[in-house]
Amino acid sequence: MKRIAVIAVLVAAFVPLAAAVAQLPTFGEASNPTNTYLVPRYLQKGPEEAGAANVVTDVILNYRGYDTNGEVVVIFTALIAALATLLVRPKQMAATPPGDDAPRSPIVSFVVKAIAPFIAVFTVYLVLHGHLSPGGGFQGGTIFGALIILLSLTLGHKYGLSLLPERSRPWLQAAAVLAFIAVGLLGWALCGAYLAYPSYSQLEWVREGWLIALEIGIGVGGAAIFATVFWTMEAEP
Amino acid sequence: MLIEAILQAVTAVLVAVGLFFFLVGTVGVLRLPDFYSRTHAATKCDTLGAGSILLGLAVLGASRGDYTDGLKVLVIAVLVLLSSPTAAHALARAAFRTGLEPYTLPEARGGEDR
Amino acid sequence: MSEIFDLLLLVLLITTALCVIRTKDLLAAAVIFSTYSLIMCLVWQMRGAPDVALTEAAVGAGVTTVLFLVTISRTVRREK
Repeated sequence: MKRIAVIAVLVAAFVPLAAAVAQLPTFGEASNPTNTYLVPRYLQKGPEEAGAANVVTDVILNYRGYDTNGEVVVIFTALIAALATLLVRPKQMAATPPGDDAPRSPIVSFVVKAIAPFIAVFTVYLVLHGHLSPGGGFQGGTIFGALIILLSLTLGHKYGLSLLPERSRPWLQAAAVLAFIAVGLLGWALCGAYLAYPSYSQLEWVREGWLIALEIGIGVGGAAIFATVFWTMEAEP
Repeated sequence: MLIEAILQAVTAVLVAVGLFFFLVGTVGVLRLPDFYSRTHAATKCDTLGAGSILLGLAVLGASRGDYTDGLKVLVIAVLVLLSSPTAAHALARAAFRTGLEPYTLPEARGGEDR
Repeated sequence: MSEIFDLLLLVLLITTALCVIRTKDLLAAAVIFSTYSLIMCLVWQMRGAPDVALTEAAVGAGVTTVLFLVTISRTVRREK
């Protein structure tokens, strides 16, 4: 009886949804509104209107800045949720995880130390040059987070933790949200709307500065969050 | 013109050598008896195979005049040559430290069956 | 030529995805999943989306694999 009721509810929900989906324009059709004016507008006017040669950056940080702002808040909330479910305190995170005191291979340590600076330079390039070439804050931040994870795996947990000092760690984790709030309020003060960019051509450098500030915020926040999730999962419960 | 042809021939030879090492490495991964020898075969694939193919591509770039592209490919080759043996070393070391016995011939182990 | 390469990548992608589902050893599944991410990264690059390709390589093949491995080392290795 219960099963029949469940099936009936599911069918009752499915039929109107399927009918609504059938009304939608065909996926990938050339006459769809997204293909007739949205994408050409982004591709033709993006660099001029939004201030970045990389159209992806234009869309993410300028045209759909609110969307990215919300997304950044979601990622930060997810970190808080992960920390809450795993119930790891900062003191436990600082403790050495099991197996970390095993003797380390000098070859691996040497090669990682030799490659790490190049990876770091690459992430800085991705973050700071992300509005002109492929890449951006999130990509650079993720690779930097992976670098921190690599260093704490090969050179020891303590070394990795020392890269993000405990006092500034919460601020670094919240960097993306804070950067968005700062740039958003600046936009409010100067241009009259939250996260508004100056549209005058004389103020192009301001626009570029705000894009770079957002990219740096996303990068630092992403790296700190990925590293923290790793340390939290590794910590002794 | 002649130099270009020579460089392209060099590319072909280097890529062929790389493909040969990839083939040998794949056969080794499939045929060799235990973890250590398979890791050894797989690493040959990466270092010699990928290394010489990337070197060939760098020469191809130079023959077309794309010196920056050729240099980038060379940097990738250096990275592969540095990171792949290190990864193999770390794998084999971790396996040895956790007590995985290398495969030995039955005679060397006192004649018992595998 | 490019179509053949695309087709090869897509076939490899589906094969690795099926392998991930069918493997009972979770450690092997995590490693195969990182291969899946690398192939996916190549597909993005071939489709002309280098931004997404970078993200896929960093997140899919890098960070998630490490997080999977940490989880496996904390729990059990084999699917029941």
